[in-house]
Amino acid sequence: MAEILQYVHKDAFLHRLHPYTKIAFIIVMSIMCIMATNLVFLTLMVLALLVLAAYSRLLVELLQQLKLILVMSVIFILITIITMPNGDILGYVIPQGVPFIGGFIPLTTGGVMIGLVLTLRFMILIFAFQLFLISTQPRDLVHAMEKMGLPIDYILMFIIALRFIPTLQIEGQRIHEAQLARGFNPGTGFVGKIRSVAPIAIPLVSNALLRSNVLGLTIDMRGYRNGKRTHVRERVLAYRDYAFMGVLVVASCGFVVLLLVHLI
Amino acid sequence: MIELTNVGYTYPHTVQPALHRITLSLEKGRCVMVTGPSGAGKTSLCLAASGILHHEYGGKKEGLVAIDGKDVNEYCSLSDLAQNVGVVFDDAEAQMIFTTVEEEILSALEHRGLSAAVIEERLSGIMKTTYIEELKDRSPHNLSGGQKQRVALAATLALGNDILILDEPTSELDEHATRRIAGILKDLKDQGKTILLIEHKFGQFREMVDALVVMEHGMITAQGIPDDVLKDDRLRAMVLPDFSKVKKNLHTAVTSEPVITVQNLTHNYGKIEALSGISLTIRKGEFVAIVGENGSGKTTLVKHFNRLLSPTTGDVIVHGRNTRDCSIVSLACYVGLVFQNPDHMFFADTVREEIAYGVKNLGIDDSDAVIDAALRDAGLEESADLYPRWLSRGERQRLGIACVVAMQPSVIVLDEPTTGLDGNEALLVINILKKLQEKGHTVIIITHNREIAEHCADRIIMMEGGKILSDTGGA
Repeated sequence: MAEILQYVHKDAFLHRLHPYTKIAFIIVMSIMCIMATNLVFLTLMVLALLVLAAYSRLLVELLQQLKLILVMSVIFILITIITMPNGDILGYVIPQGVPFIGGFIPLTTGGVMIGLVLTLRFMILIFAFQLFLISTQPRDLVHAMEKMGLPIDYILMFIIALRFIPTLQIEGQRIHEAQLARGFNPGTGFVGKIRSVAPIAIPLVSNALLRSNVLGLTIDMRGYRNGKRTHVRERVLAYRDYAFMGVLVVASCGFVVLLLVHLI
Repeated sequence: MIELTNVGYTYPHTVQPALHRITLSLEKGRCVMVTGPSGAGKTSLCLAASGILHHEYGGKKEGLVAIDGKDVNEYCSLSDLAQNVGVVFDDAEAQMIFTTVEEEILSALEHRGLSAAVIEERLSGIMKTTYIEELKDRSPHNLSGGQKQRVALAATLALGNDILILDEPTSELDEHATRRIAGILKDLKDQGKTILLIEHKFGQFREMVDALVVMEHGMITAQGIPDDVLKDDRLRAMVLPDFSKVKKNLHTAVTSEPVITVQNLTHNYGKIEALSGISLTIRKGEFVAIVGENGSGKTTLVKHFNRLLSPTTGDVIVHGRNTRDCSIVSLACYVGLVFQNPDHMFFADTVREEIAYGVKNLGIDDSDAVIDAALRDAGLEESADLYPRWLSRGERQRLGIACVVAMQPSVIVLDEPTTGLDGNEALLVINILKKLQEKGHTVIIITHNREIAEHCADRIIMMEGGKILSDTGGA
């Protein structure tokens, strides 16, 4: 089963970076991809992320998200074609030859362009966050976020939300099987679909609520919220962090210049 | 170390007290085991003895709980209590917050105000005592049940407290994994730890238990040296169930028609071969027990009987039809599967509606009569209008069986039907299954309990590493 957003234990470039460096990295990537509208520039950013992933031996994990991205990109492009017709007409979604309904929904260059830009932005954001989460141990993440002054309760909430994704996936699968064995028939039509949710969702949520009770007690009994902590195996900013941040600064400056001269 | 005097407790919004006049004393370096039917208040006792009840729960509290000679109300918070008591809850998965085993234990150690050097030393010591060194970089959802329990125990040990309270740490484990936990606890006791253990499997922990406490209906009905307590026949049946009186089916089923035929079945999960070259025939009216350790392929095998899994190679024939050509729903009329954890299926508002769900799905005529019969068979007539999740574990297990029985499949498959039950409850389940067999159903159970397999089943299939190691029925 594909593990969504789970830390992958490895010893490679991104894993060795300090969480701060990686947080700076995703912030820079997010701002750049939101501000840039140039297709070539966005494509280069995607390529850069893929190179970074390959260098950090995380390419396989990253490409597991490709299916989701493809589905989303089709939806994005369809929406922008329908809602943002602009520029030259390339053709029609429903061919003109079709009687009565033919010739509707023009396929415009503007619509396709915006769709592609959205897809690329989406891809960059997903890849960047994915790289960050799968290469950072939750413990380091907790420490970094604590030092940044975030309240511990919110940090734990964030960590736990990520940590229990695979557990819920597995549990959902088991519940689905148990209901199938009782002749559960995923309904047809809209009402059927809604009805078929209850036999799966109710046990899943009830069990999760029960579990959250134990989870909460565990957090307190282990003293995660007591505020005092011995610093063990603390990560320090190393030479490679400074080098990487240097690259980020140079890239950001270059980006600002490109923006000013209207190249992107 | 822990003193409970006349402790009573009633959960908010309920009338019936969960604990009633409990007086119990746990002395330093001793191990007390608490046992009793599900729903007797064992977990509530666990919460009361650790002080959690007084700090985290509302409801009506009576009596005194003292930990290390100090009234629990004098401790200012759970973190404060955690300086003295370590608790391992029954749900091991919920006690894992981080994504690798080592991280989990290290994080627990970090909050104890120790120096970095001591932390590193303790970390490796604890990983060694609990045999989890080789799991150090694994993530929780990739661990087996036994491994998860050991990690949860290790993270609690990291706190370094002298008092340990464990709530059914072996309920989902096979014999081998249980022995391992028992061994670890024995070592801890020898190191001087004080242990309060909630358990059903007295047999496995016999050596280390100094006192046995039996709880029923929120009260302690017996406590003392195990041998004294077990002199009482009624308690003995509860603690050490005797399955030898379950009568076996005398007329052998060898001549009757086959209901399930498995031919050279192989199943792969990705690259891992979970089943290889399984062939067997199960005949009408047989009572079959499938035994073997966790991960030997038992559950994978039975999931092929109703096509939750399809063979990678080979065939499964149910009632003369190849499962490849059948839908799961159509097979549900022939093969009913009761999963290990009944909580995975309950979603209705009442017990009756829960049973009706499967019956309606299959469009069975005269559904009311069928549901009544299933309730009667499972001994749940009086609970028909209750909310399923309010039932005790034993009752929920029987409800799980009733849900499947009501669908009238000729073959009933049960995955670990006696998990988390005391002796009497387990016997009740077995007797229900025996009755079903008498009515002509074929019963297949997966079980860790060797006694149940030996005394109740007509045929034992032993599995190991995805293969059938032995089969007393012969194919």
